[in-house]
Amino acid sequence: MTLLAHVGHWAINLLYVAPLVVAVGVLGWQARKDRRARARGGEPVVRRPPSEPPG
Amino acid sequence: MNRRRLLALAFVAVGAVLVSAPATALAHGLVGRQDLPIPKWLFGWAAAVVLVASFVGLAVLWPKPRLERAPERRVAAVPGFLDPLLGSIGLAFFVLVVYAGFAGSQTTTNNLAPTVIFVIFWVAIPIVSLFFGDVFKAINPWRAAARAVAWLAAKVSRGGLPAPMAYPAKLGRWPAAIGILAFAWVELVYSGRGDPSNLAVLALVYMAVQFVGMSLYGIEPWNRYGDAFGVYFGLVARMAPLRWTRTALFARKPLSGLTNIDVVPGTVALVITIIGTTSFDGFSGGPAWSNIAPELTSLFRDLGLGQSTSLELAFTIGLVVVTLIVAGLYRLGVIGMSTIDPQGASTEELSARFAHSLVPIGLAYVVAHYFSLLAYEGQRVAYLISDPLGNGSNVFGTSSATVDYTWVSATAIWYVQVAALVIGHVAGLVLAHERALVSFGDNQVATRSQYWMLVVMIAFTSLGLWLLSAANS
Repeated sequence: MTLLAHVGHWAINLLYVAPLVVAVGVLGWQARKDRRARARGGEPVVRRPPSEPPG
Repeated sequence: MNRRRLLALAFVAVGAVLVSAPATALAHGLVGRQDLPIPKWLFGWAAAVVLVASFVGLAVLWPKPRLERAPERRVAAVPGFLDPLLGSIGLAFFVLVVYAGFAGSQTTTNNLAPTVIFVIFWVAIPIVSLFFGDVFKAINPWRAAARAVAWLAAKVSRGGLPAPMAYPAKLGRWPAAIGILAFAWVELVYSGRGDPSNLAVLALVYMAVQFVGMSLYGIEPWNRYGDAFGVYFGLVARMAPLRWTRTALFARKPLSGLTNIDVVPGTVALVITIIGTTSFDGFSGGPAWSNIAPELTSLFRDLGLGQSTSLELAFTIGLVVVTLIVAGLYRLGVIGMSTIDPQGASTEELSARFAHSLVPIGLAYVVAHYFSLLAYEGQRVAYLISDPLGNGSNVFGTSSATVDYTWVSATAIWYVQVAALVIGHVAGLVLAHERALVSFGDNQVATRSQYWMLVVMIAFTSLGLWLLSAANS
């Protein structure tokens, strides 16, 4: 109960973790996407800049 | 669930518990009320955005290595007398500090020793080294004393001294890492740290250890790998645009000196120790530790230990745990990198390969956490240099100088802290990107391999800002 009563005190500290959570989430999502691409027998989608030759 | 995921979950859980501890607030040291336009946590978000933007910028605009193997150019000759002269000055100052510790007032603020050791030596020298190169090597008192002894012995014995043993490769920078941990323990844990005579004894003990190391393995090898402060300041100096030798001064690109560091065992441990112990300094001033410390202390008191010993044990545990958490964060980043690495390098190999990218982060943590100490407590040197023993002398006529706590505001200190953390982490990203380009050849692969390093940098930045905000609240 004390924990809940002081939620305003500690919840603000969690905001410092938010950028980390977002970064890990994006990475995890990308890793999952790559794994699925590999499972389908293809390579992960790699976007190259137009000036760079493929291969 | 595999071991890596368990490790990751464990660190996330520990981090969440620490971060969400109730903010009952302990006013930290010298920092007063800050007047900020946005909440502090928003600075953390902004810093993360800067890091991501820097990462993207590096991927797009930095396709080839620019720092690794960058050439340096000779800009000036250094007179031969300068090295022994600066060494003599360093040694004389060391003797003065030790003498003041023993013979002077035992009140911390009235004695030269504590301010010189904890403020000038620990904080100012790394900052000076960042801009001017390895100045400590020139004024290193134990190196100067050893060189003088070696020179004298060579003159007296005529045949010279016996050749030292080869420095053991396995030892690497471990002695330096242990030395820095020991210094941090004295600074943050030891209850007698404010007693100048204790500091004088410890300074002499440290000097004795250096003499043993140098006599066994040679002056230069020991200074390069074993002398904690020589190694630490030397690493920081590698970021400087200047490099000194005994005969010449060279100019180079900032940060480029770090890219040719020889990664021997203990290098990662040394840098992690700097980041971890500084983190504990911030953490121990915050609300989370103020809740944990009394519990731990009473646990040891219940075991029959005295109050002082119990407190020291509790703080020792805190110091070690926080350092291990920082080590774990880096390890997680390296493990993540190894899952993307196309060459399939081991985590140990990757950890060593990217160790140099942690050096600017280590310095950023030191600047962020100790800037206020330097800005305020550093002013004590003005009166202590005239009255080093605190006995009323006035050698240079400055003994009546006082500390001006208004010259820099708490808000300005916060901005310096945030800037130090952001710049340090961006520098870390640059170095890691460079190393990835050299290792993997292709910019695309290099960028992909650095996703996890970006996460590590965001984690260290968020941790640093949270620690500062908690300590300043």
